[in-house]
Amino acid sequence: MARTVPRPEMTLAEKAYVPEIVKGLKVTMGHFLRGLFTPETLPVQSYPETPSVIPRNYRAKHRLMKRPDGEPRCVACMMCSTACPANCITIQAGESADDRIEKKPVKFEIDLLVCVFCGLCAEACPVDAIRMDTRIVALAADSREKFKVGLKDLMSWEPKDYPDNDTQSQKAPGGLLNAEAKKQWGIS
Amino acid sequence: MSNSYHMPVLPKPDGKKVTINVDGRDVEVPEGTNLVEALKTIGIATPHFCYHPDLPVAGNCRQCMVETDGPRGMGLAIACYTPVRAGMKVATDHSSEKVKTARKAVMEFQLANHPLDCPICDKAGECSLQDNYMSAGGQTSRMREGIGKQYKGSPENRHQDSKGQDRGGKHLDLGPTVILDQERCILCDRCVRFMRDVAGSEQLYIAGRGDHAFLSTFPGSELSHEYDLNVTDVCPVGALTGKHFRFHQRVWNLVSTQTIDPTDSLGANITVDHYDGQAWRIMPRRNPDVNKSWIHNDTRLAYQKLSENRLAAGLFGKNEIPLSQATSRLGELVRGARKLALVASGHLTLEDNAAILALAQFLGSRAEVFGGSWLPVGKPDNIARSGDPVPNRLGQKLLGIADNLDELVRRAKEFDVLVVVGHDLWKIAPSKAKALEAIPERIVLSAWHDDSVAKATLSVGIRSWAEVRGTMVNCQGRVQMMQAAPILPSPDLEPAWQILSSAGRLGWTSELDAFRFAQGRIPALAGLTYRNIGPMGRILEGVVA
Amino acid sequence: MIDFDLPFLLAIAKFALVFIPLCLIPICIFMERKGASLMQDRYGPNRANIPLLGGIRLFGFVQNLPDGIKLFTKENFIPRGAHTFWYLLAPMIPLAVALLTPSVIPWFGPMVVEGSRGLATVSGQILDADSGVLVLFALSGLSIYGVVLGAWASNSKYALLGGMRASAQMISYEVSMGLSAAGIFLIVGSFSLTQIVEWQAAHTWGIVVQPVGFVLFLTSLFAETGRAPFDMAEGESEIVAGYFVEYSAIRFGLFYMGEYAHIAIAGALLSTLFLGGYQIPFMDTEAVRANLGFVSGAIVAAVGLSCLGIAYMVRRWARIYSRMQTTDAVDRKREYNILNGAFSVIGLGLLAVAAALMVLVHPAKGGLGAADIWPLWVNLGTAAVQVGTLVVKILAICWIFVWVRWTLPRFRYDQVMALGWKIMLNIALVNLLVTAVVAKLVKG
Repeated sequence: MARTVPRPEMTLAEKAYVPEIVKGLKVTMGHFLRGLFTPETLPVQSYPETPSVIPRNYRAKHRLMKRPDGEPRCVACMMCSTACPANCITIQAGESADDRIEKKPVKFEIDLLVCVFCGLCAEACPVDAIRMDTRIVALAADSREKFKVGLKDLMSWEPKDYPDNDTQSQKAPGGLLNAEAKKQWGIS
Repeated sequence: MSNSYHMPVLPKPDGKKVTINVDGRDVEVPEGTNLVEALKTIGIATPHFCYHPDLPVAGNCRQCMVETDGPRGMGLAIACYTPVRAGMKVATDHSSEKVKTARKAVMEFQLANHPLDCPICDKAGECSLQDNYMSAGGQTSRMREGIGKQYKGSPENRHQDSKGQDRGGKHLDLGPTVILDQERCILCDRCVRFMRDVAGSEQLYIAGRGDHAFLSTFPGSELSHEYDLNVTDVCPVGALTGKHFRFHQRVWNLVSTQTIDPTDSLGANITVDHYDGQAWRIMPRRNPDVNKSWIHNDTRLAYQKLSENRLAAGLFGKNEIPLSQATSRLGELVRGARKLALVASGHLTLEDNAAILALAQFLGSRAEVFGGSWLPVGKPDNIARSGDPVPNRLGQKLLGIADNLDELVRRAKEFDVLVVVGHDLWKIAPSKAKALEAIPERIVLSAWHDDSVAKATLSVGIRSWAEVRGTMVNCQGRVQMMQAAPILPSPDLEPAWQILSSAGRLGWTSELDAFRFAQGRIPALAGLTYRNIGPMGRILEGVVA
Repeated sequence: MIDFDLPFLLAIAKFALVFIPLCLIPICIFMERKGASLMQDRYGPNRANIPLLGGIRLFGFVQNLPDGIKLFTKENFIPRGAHTFWYLLAPMIPLAVALLTPSVIPWFGPMVVEGSRGLATVSGQILDADSGVLVLFALSGLSIYGVVLGAWASNSKYALLGGMRASAQMISYEVSMGLSAAGIFLIVGSFSLTQIVEWQAAHTWGIVVQPVGFVLFLTSLFAETGRAPFDMAEGESEIVAGYFVEYSAIRFGLFYMGEYAHIAIAGALLSTLFLGGYQIPFMDTEAVRANLGFVSGAIVAAVGLSCLGIAYMVRRWARIYSRMQTTDAVDRKREYNILNGAFSVIGLGLLAVAAALMVLVHPAKGGLGAADIWPLWVNLGTAAVQVGTLVVKILAICWIFVWVRWTLPRFRYDQVMALGWKIMLNIALVNLLVTAVVAKLVKG
């Protein structure tokens, strides 16, 4: 059943065509003059000179958190690779040199081309070993293999780039964080 | 722990049934069985830790509590040690809050001092604590932060960890194959019972008493036995783990393929657990009539050989050639031979041996089939081995392949082509096999680069035992199914029967063709299909073991 | 026998004027890209830079250079199955026509110079024929050949489609183009473009006496050059690039430049017929010669003021840019300072020159010899002023082309044909009729 939608009839001025063209030209000229004399009003971002604002909770490239002695916090429990809906995490477990920790990852690879940046790995991790708060969104490489980032790449972050980010979210004995924890463990 | 335990009474397929009342309805269960087994026959699963159908009952974990009627009314009793009696009333967790609470309470006790090891524990995914928590527990922990858990284990292993907590014995080396984590042990006593009553060598014991009890080997001794890795199966938690599988793979990723032990003629039922095209471990399957729940250490570690030294292509002399080329060359040599000696193998399935017979039949009087084995036969140990290292010896005999390898050695000069299928003659008896080097064309079909391949003029790679689908007849006269696991090192590899079929232009397209040929030679196989053999195998009528 | 005297030398020198539309191409392209982008609320090309002193960007004017280099260095290929000779010939035709057509446009007013055989009149057109404008129409009709040849020789369905549409459109609008200009020819009474400009100088601009004709002629020019809203031959979003889809690198470059050259020539034609050509409003050629100092001073002053205006805009933008936190602040600051300084100095210098011109330049008749003619320098100065005026008018019309392109949506092919044959042709005929009647009534 066709329902006829009444269309507005064209007025005589509209039918004459030329006055409408002139109106259109006025609009465009307005935009042009605005852009020419007040270019700061244009909604343009001069990227990359002007940096993009990325929200604090944005899920970007992953990083693996470190223990005070530099080893990864990860115990290769494979919760993240099991939780991952895209199957992009490959982990190979091995014995840790520290026998109190027992298990550590020998190989930890994320294929960033397959990753859907859902954050389920960060949620699944029981030891807060993987986070997605680096705000690194510009991932570029020149071959598909180079997009598979490994253990070294994921741990190549500087603590000083995350000043307000608690790098020690696990409590040390007596409920201590960061500097106190390191002191307790005898690591500076 | 008491030394006198009774084996659980298991339901027999044709046993008498009695009527009991479970959760308010009357049901028929086998007479005299332990209540855990009786409830299982009517579909009610009871959570348990220390009960095992193939071990003497201990009854120390108290998890399997149900309410039964007694002189003082309905009361909690452990289902694993309560025999069925006609007319008894049973209330499970479906109808009794007391049972639910009791099971939750036991779970809480078990978890109280259990370490938070799930991320690093190999048992995760097949752990009774995890499973029973999900089904019977499910409560929030009442442990307070900062108090920590009490150490569990031997006092000499007690230490403080990096967080200042009191910890017990972790990853202790018990022997050549097993690692003990004393903290994770829930003192169910299964391993002790196994070593004492099944393996026959008491090498583990529970030391200490009460809250300070811990599992240990005897002072100065280690855990070393050819069945010792079975303790890692019976252990419900990750206390006893195998060194061979430590940290290799998470078990929820693994897919199990059911097959048969290739190292012994008892044919213990096993699964090959694989993932991503690779075999990661072998686990026993429960078959009460064959191997119960046990397998020998050699059987368990047989998967390690599946990926090393494989012959994945053909070999012409020392040069590798594609499999298709090798197969066609084999066909030419076989069909053009003046006198051909075919050596069958008891290490191969009935289908492969049937293919050898069919090929001989096709070639007529030009071909002769030799079989049997030079491997020495030992004595059965009544656990999971018969002592005979040839798994399909009875199958070969039923097919009519004679045990005449020595005759072949004597008459070696008569033949111009020798085809050895899946049988490493040169490794088993190199001095005897040397005589076979008189045969000018020696063709070996093997899955590995073994000694026979080194002495062959043409070698063709075939699938190994874990990658073929077929049947074997064990020493009890039971025909058992082997299934193929997708772990081929090269996708071109074919089973031996397929290569022989193309060599003899037999036109077989699947194992069923070979099985039907075998059925033609073995009347006892009549009426059997792969489906009705079933996962537990079938005893063949009229076959004397 | 050729006398190598002054008129001859001037005639040879006039050939340089043929290249003016060609030189306007980069300016046209710059206007198009920046104008289009500002109309679309974005900046347009502003990154291409000369890598000196941290990068001179010139607000995107440098973009033409890398574009040209890209067109020259891209891979030149010939598609399989293409008719090679015609394929190679086709891009040359529009640009060749673009070099021929400016020869009939009057760039300056006729000047009287002393030759070896007495006084001679040097016309502003290179080709001074009575049938001036007809030559122009004929030549622009030739450029259609380039389109058709290119389309056919490409051996591609899209190209063929585009080519057929383009050629049909161009031929249709040739007719209405001729008829809409016919009114002016009627009024002026001559086909010679110099005469038309002189008539406009003496009376009024063509747009005043022929407003309808102006609109029709403008629309026909849009269609002739293949510009929006009549660009369904290119039809960028419909049939890829239309008739030049199979051309790459410099062959495409030739088509592209040919298109802009045609726009410049269209602008020249429009201004010559309707907007007074080289004539400065309210002053005819003699008046300009008499007041050369004042006129040239005024023009130079105007340029100087606009330079100062540009310097002011640069300073303003520099202030705004430095307030944004950018990573290239240092380089841009340096560049803006240089530009600001350059434009300010040039502006002030030009103002000074203008003042000097106004004060010092007083042309007087007579001079060398006894002939009663203006001195050569006066003639040349006037010619320069007139050429400049025409160029300014051409640029203004180029701007209108750009403006209209980015305002109006594309016509459909059947709409284009309907417009050309059914509407514009009829209006042009009626216009001609009315003009004829009115002209007869006025003149008697």
